[in-house]
Amino acid sequence: MGILNKLGMAVGTASRPAARGIATGDRGRGNDAVALAAVGPNRTPEKNETNRPSNGLKEFMWSLDGLGRGTLLDLGPAWQTTLNFFIERGFRVSSEDILRGWKNFVSEEETQLKQHSAAASHLERGPEGRVERFLKTNLQYEPGAFDAILLWDVLDYLEPEMAKQTVAHLTALLRSGGVVFAMFHSKKPEGFQRYRVADSSTLQVIATPPLLPAQKVYQNREIQDMFARFRTMKSFVGRDQLRETLVTK
Amino acid sequence: MWKKDDVKTPGVSESSPSAVSTPAPVNPNPSQASQRETAAPAQRTAPAPGNTFGNASGNASGSSASVSQGIRIKGEITGSENLFIDGQLEGKLDLGNASVTVGPNGVVKADITAREVIVRGRVDGKVVGSERIQIGSSGQIIGEIHCERIAIEDGAVLRGRVETGRPLAKPTEARGIAAGASSGNKNSDTQRPVTTAAPANAATAGTTAE
Repeated sequence: MGILNKLGMAVGTASRPAARGIATGDRGRGNDAVALAAVGPNRTPEKNETNRPSNGLKEFMWSLDGLGRGTLLDLGPAWQTTLNFFIERGFRVSSEDILRGWKNFVSEEETQLKQHSAAASHLERGPEGRVERFLKTNLQYEPGAFDAILLWDVLDYLEPEMAKQTVAHLTALLRSGGVVFAMFHSKKPEGFQRYRVADSSTLQVIATPPLLPAQKVYQNREIQDMFARFRTMKSFVGRDQLRETLVTK
Repeated sequence: MWKKDDVKTPGVSESSPSAVSTPAPVNPNPSQASQRETAAPAQRTAPAPGNTFGNASGNASGSSASVSQGIRIKGEITGSENLFIDGQLEGKLDLGNASVTVGPNGVVKADITAREVIVRGRVDGKVVGSERIQIGSSGQIIGEIHCERIAIEDGAVLRGRVETGRPLAKPTEARGIAAGASSGNKNSDTQRPVTTAAPANAATAGTTAE
């Protein structure tokens, strides 16, 4: 990874005209919208979008420096900008929107239970059983398959038992020395937001309709317990009450 | 719907048998591969209905076949003409150097190999686009993606691995591609792989040249 990438000057700031097309939803241009690069922090934001500096992301990128062709698991929605950012740095990216997946899974199970009362006896209705069933069909990758995981603020929106088991599952997917970038709200979030990478030290925060309600506000100790099997943990608290946490396995 | 000549029974595909060799998410049963659940008449449209998302034209004539909403196909489709799918397809789809558009009502459970793949519906399977893959805001891809370029609209759902960059070609073809790559224009059409078998081979091996 070059020094320009570390400084966020390589891709992001140089691609404003191309990036603006897709950011404004200009979908009619067809081929013009294809060759997009990650957008820079100076790009005109959308109405529901704000930029925030991210020391956690900066540290995350530093920790992946020199990795070469790394593997990354993005557990947020698939954004063009985030994908391009990492692909252009040589990463092989896997994407799985775990919150959307969980929501769909729960609603499908609820529907099944309503339609077939007989099925109810077969399904363990407790949170543990439900999480187990979810993880059997989601996040199915080889153990140690990833060098890095973008967890975003997903854990805040999962039921505590689900969050705990998800972290345990992700721990197995991460190679030794791999890094997880997670975010935690210091107080219950008022809205629901998604994140995408603008450059190596800037995140775009996009307010979206709520997918799931916030479940829990984690304290430092609880976060440490959740990532107990990891070697190191670093936290950065932002002005927006968002705590960025970097944990290394 | 599709040209009668283009519908082949398994094993007589126009493309190399290795073109899609790892049906990871969908494992079409060879015994069922030639079954067509409906005998709907073929439709020929130009351009594909509702195809306002990008440029789906890829062949000289500019026409495209379509699988309309309500049509369900189980089997293997190969050919060299653009295809618009707004119905259901299960099996395997190999259009070589042509373009595939999955419409908003389209549900495809198949490995797709084409020059350009545009997804506005749902695709379960490995998608190999030798040139590019575009996922619209209503599009969903559950499976691996291998392509040279990818465009994702906000709201698109992607679950799986993404490999982008120029696929490795066979040694004899690689020289020409490498010469083009050295010119510095990474996305130039002149660097298009000579055969359609190369992308799938490279994808299977999990290696891409970037």
